[in-house]
Parts: sequence; C-alpha cells; structure tokens
Amino acid sequence: MNFARIAALASRIIRQVFRDRRTLVLIFIVPVVIMTLLYLVLTNTSSVHTLAIVSPSGTGSDRINTLITNLLPGKDKVNVTYINANQVNDTLTKGNADAAIIFPPDFTQQVFAGQNPSVQIVLEGSDPNVANAVRDLTGAFTHQLGVAISALKAQQAQTGQGQALPPVLGGSLPFTVSDPQYLHGGPQYTFNDSIAPVFIGIFSFFFVFLLTSIAFLRERSQGTIERVMASPMTRSELVIGYIFGFLLFALVQSLMILLFVIFALRVHYSGNLSLVFLVTALLTIGSINLGIFLSAFAQNEFQIVQFIPLVFGIQIFLSGVFWPIDQLPAILRPISYILPLTYANDALRAVMLKGADLAGIAWELAALLIFMVLMIVLSALTMRRQIA
Amino acid sequence: MTEAIPGTRKRQELQKPTNGEPMVVVNQLVKQFGKLQAVNNLSLNIHAGETFGLIGPNGSGKTTLIRMLVGLILPTSGTIHIMNERIPSQKVAAHIGYMTQLSALYLDLTARENMQFFCNVYGLRGKEQKQRIMEMLERVDLADRIDDVVGHFSGGMRQRLSLACALVHHPSLALLDEPTVGVDPELRREFWDYFAQLNKEGVTIIVSTHQLDEATRCARLGLMRNGILIAQDSPQELLRQSGQDNMEEAYLYYASLQEV
Repeated sequence: MNFARIAALASRIIRQVFRDRRTLVLIFIVPVVIMTLLYLVLTNTSSVHTLAIVSPSGTGSDRINTLITNLLPGKDKVNVTYINANQVNDTLTKGNADAAIIFPPDFTQQVFAGQNPSVQIVLEGSDPNVANAVRDLTGAFTHQLGVAISALKAQQAQTGQGQALPPVLGGSLPFTVSDPQYLHGGPQYTFNDSIAPVFIGIFSFFFVFLLTSIAFLRERSQGTIERVMASPMTRSELVIGYIFGFLLFALVQSLMILLFVIFALRVHYSGNLSLVFLVTALLTIGSINLGIFLSAFAQNEFQIVQFIPLVFGIQIFLSGVFWPIDQLPAILRPISYILPLTYANDALRAVMLKGADLAGIAWELAALLIFMVLMIVLSALTMRRQIA
Repeated sequence: MTEAIPGTRKRQELQKPTNGEPMVVVNQLVKQFGKLQAVNNLSLNIHAGETFGLIGPNGSGKTTLIRMLVGLILPTSGTIHIMNERIPSQKVAAHIGYMTQLSALYLDLTARENMQFFCNVYGLRGKEQKQRIMEMLERVDLADRIDDVVGHFSGGMRQRLSLACALVHHPSLALLDEPTVGVDPELRREFWDYFAQLNKEGVTIIVSTHQLDEATRCARLGLMRNGILIAQDSPQELLRQSGQDNMEEAYLYYASLQEV
C-alpha cells in the first residue's frame, strides 16, 4: 500500500470534479434547491386552522376563559370552537377541528392552589403539515397563557395577601402541557422532524454513486485504467484512491446540507456531527464501490443512467424516506430491510432528532458496515473484468 | 519459478540488464479467450537497448501480447520474465512505460496535469518532476500547450502527449502499442528518431505497428499472424531469408509458409 499513489489518484479526482462546473452544481447546489422545493411543497402554513377548546368549567373560571379568548390568535390564523370533553374525539374525527386543547374542569382551582394541573393537546394528525403547524400554534398559545396566569397570580397575591410573587417569565409555568397526542399518524410524519435528516444520506448516496460510476466508466472507455493498472498502482490502491477522492465531496456535501437544514429550514437538530459524518462515510464508501461495481456492466453513460431507477428508485420508496417502513405492505417490508438507505435513514434520524449516541445507532452502523464491506468485495471482484 | 533464467537474481533490487542482455524472455506463451486463441505458444527474446517491432494485421495478437507483458492480463499458460522477474510484478511495473492504443488521457485535465498524475503514480516528484515534464513536452512539441485542456487537443496532439506520459518516468522498457497511428509523417519520423536515441540511452522499446514501412527502423522484428509468431529476426535477415525486397512481400511469404 503506497499512500503517495493513493494521494495522487485522490487529488486527481478532486481536481477533475472541480474542473467540471456542472458536477459542482450537482453536488452542492442541486440538493439545496430540491430541499427548498420540498420544504415549500410539504410545509403549507397559509391556511387557517381550527382549534377546539375544552374550557375549564369550575368556579371562578371566567377570568381564565377571558384570558384564553384574548390570547388566542386572530381569525386570520385560527378558528376557535368550544366543545365539551366528551366531544373531543368526535370533533377531531369528523374534521371539525385540527386540534383540541383540553383543560381539566377544575383547572382554575388547581392553578390557584399551585397544584400544577395538566393541559392536554390532541392533534388530528392525518395531514402532517397541518399537524405540525397546529402543534407549533398550540405550543405558543399555552406558553403565553402560562405566563399570563403567572402574572395574574402574582397580582392576586399582591392585592390579596400583600405577598409579592414575581411574574414567571420563561420559567416554569403554573401548569404542565402534556406531549401532544396524535389521533392519526404521529410526529414522524412532518417534514421538519423526519424528512430533512434523511436527505443527507440520500444525496450523498445518489450523487456519489453517479459520479463514481461515470468516472470509472470513463477511465475504462478512455483507456486510462489500463495505464494506471500497468503502473505500480495496485487494485486496492485504485479503489482506496477513488474512495478518498469522492468521500471528500460526500462529507462536504453532507455538512452543507446539515447547515442548510439547521439554519435555513430551521429543522430541529440535537445530534452529534461526528456521528452524522460516520453514517455518511459508511454509506458513501459503500456507494462508491457500488458505482465501481455497476460501471463494470455498463458500456456507456446512458447505461449508467439505466441503473438509476434500480439503485435509487426502489430505495426512495422503500427505505422509509417518506413513509415509515412499518406502514408498508408486508410483502415489501423484507426488501426495505436489505436496503442500505433504510439503515442510514434510521441512524440519521436517531442522531439528528433524538440525539442518539454511538451505542444508540450501533445496529444501523453494523448494517451499513456490512453493506460497505459487501460492496468493496463486489467492486474488487469485478476489477479484473474492468481491465480485461 | 520453473524457468532457469541466466544471471543473478536479487530479491530487493531489480537487476537491470545492460545492452545486449535479455530484457524480456517469453516462453511458450498462450492466451485463450473462450474459444479464441489470441496468442498461441509464443516464445521470444528481446534484448536490452533494442527496438523490437511487433508486426501484424489487426487481430493478430499484438495487443494481447503487449497487455500480458505489462501484466494487465494473465497468460493462460507459459511465462514472461522481464528484468529476470516473473510477470506480473509490481517491482517491474515501476520500470515499464506503457502507451496504449487509445491515447488514454484525462480529457478534462490539462497536459501538465495529466503528466503530473502519471509522474506522481510512478513516484517522480518535486523539482525533478517539473523538469522532466517540460523536457518531455518540448520533445513532443507541446510545450506551448502545457496548460490547455486535453479535450481540446487534436488526435495527433493526444497521441504525442500519450507518448510523453508513457516515457516521463524514465522507464527501462517502453511498450508502445501502435504509437504512430494518426501521427503525420514528419512527426512519425521524429518519433522514430527519438526511439533510436532512447535505445542509445539504454531504453528497450517494444513497438507494435501494422505499418510495414516503419518496420525497417526496428533492430529486430516479430511477425505475428493469428496469435502465432511466424518469424523473428532483424529486418535485413527477414528480407534476405524470404528473398523479397520489401517487408510487405516478406510478411506474405512467411504467412504462406505457415499455411502449408
């Protein structure tokens, strides 16, 4: 193994990619454009949503109800309907409201007694965009209400007992809001929560596959691979050189997508960057070798394009990008579990959304490692065919 | 190692033969592609410092032989030794210059970048690399196009650059597969003059061609037909033995002998 030769090859590949402006656009601009489009298509915030409210009903609730009415957003943003506790499921199921905020009947007494009552939020949930928007809306509303009630309590304490309590600002609220319940679906349905992270995997897998297979095909059709293999460079050095050359672009690309997702699309991110890179690296090395392997079966660029639906189309639909795997038809599920993107998606979601650590994604990493090794073996096996 | 090769063999350092000593020793070489016998029981010696011409029509097995000599493909049977090392050998590969039939260049890189890549692969670095690249590009008359992208080059220019890339690392043995295809007569003469000069510097050259007029510039020739070496000797001797006065007639004469 001669690292100077590997470096020579990797730097040549990097130079070739930089020379080709279209490829640079493909790697760095296209993902951003596609993600922006998807974000705009999937995140529809313009419509007016309907909130159902189960008001507190106990004695002295009038002041609280007035507060609620005053704090709710205007009619341009939200319609409000007041219902009884037993009507919640019916109202949501019939589509008469997108979400319900349920105050316990004795909310007022509990709040003023400092008993920390629990407010429940139920989301209809079948449309992820609506659910997402309504969840944000109810979250903001309950927070404002909490601050207002704290202020009210402080005021009352001052006038009643002459005991000054500072209003709570941003601290603990006088009641708790339980995690939103979903009647249908769940939080994994929303763009922000679920689709954004997997695009790091998808883009690096796809572009690296495309670039490697075409670069290798050209190397063969132009005859340069003959020259390289006639030199002291070994087959493993050739593969490793290719891996380093394209891995660089894959990692820079995933960093860029990550920054775009976090700062431009403002997607929630609680992960460890090095784990994101680790997942991307394993997936990409596999993809590079898949590209080398499949290029052995193509005579020209068009035949590479013919591989795309096979390699990529199936994975987009079955790897849990848009639809969770457990909601796929049973026949298709086994296919999902042999696709590398399935594991990359799981791992990226776990790291970026749930802040999983290395142990938390060990199973997915193992699957990706197997994929990577398998692809390296396949590309090595076809290397002789590429030359002869 | 079944073949007894004269001369001492060292494990560490390659023993480069001096002029006249055997550089390439091919023994009963066979290459079978399915039913097709591309190279058939071929034995041959090539001496250090000579230009050996492989002559024959397309499909006669020249390229297959050269690719086996370079170590790209393995023989079905038989052996090849270069510089007393059994091929394929990574050690020998460092001392071989190989020019493929296609010009085999990276079209999206400049002439300089192509040469830099091959220099780096062969371990030629730094100042020496710079010097050598300029020297070779001047030799093939491309110095003024050094920073132009190869994709814009004409066929002849690519061929010249390809030769420069094959020889940039001072190989002891140059294997050139039809180097003069698409090269104009003037430049072709310069190529052959350069080969003669390389011979003087001790470089062994194996060159394949199907242009028989070039054959007389080789020290020795191997005539190939259907994978068989039908004759090998100096051009003068081949002409004399066949009783012909040009190489084309001589080739046809040896071909007719084979058929009988």
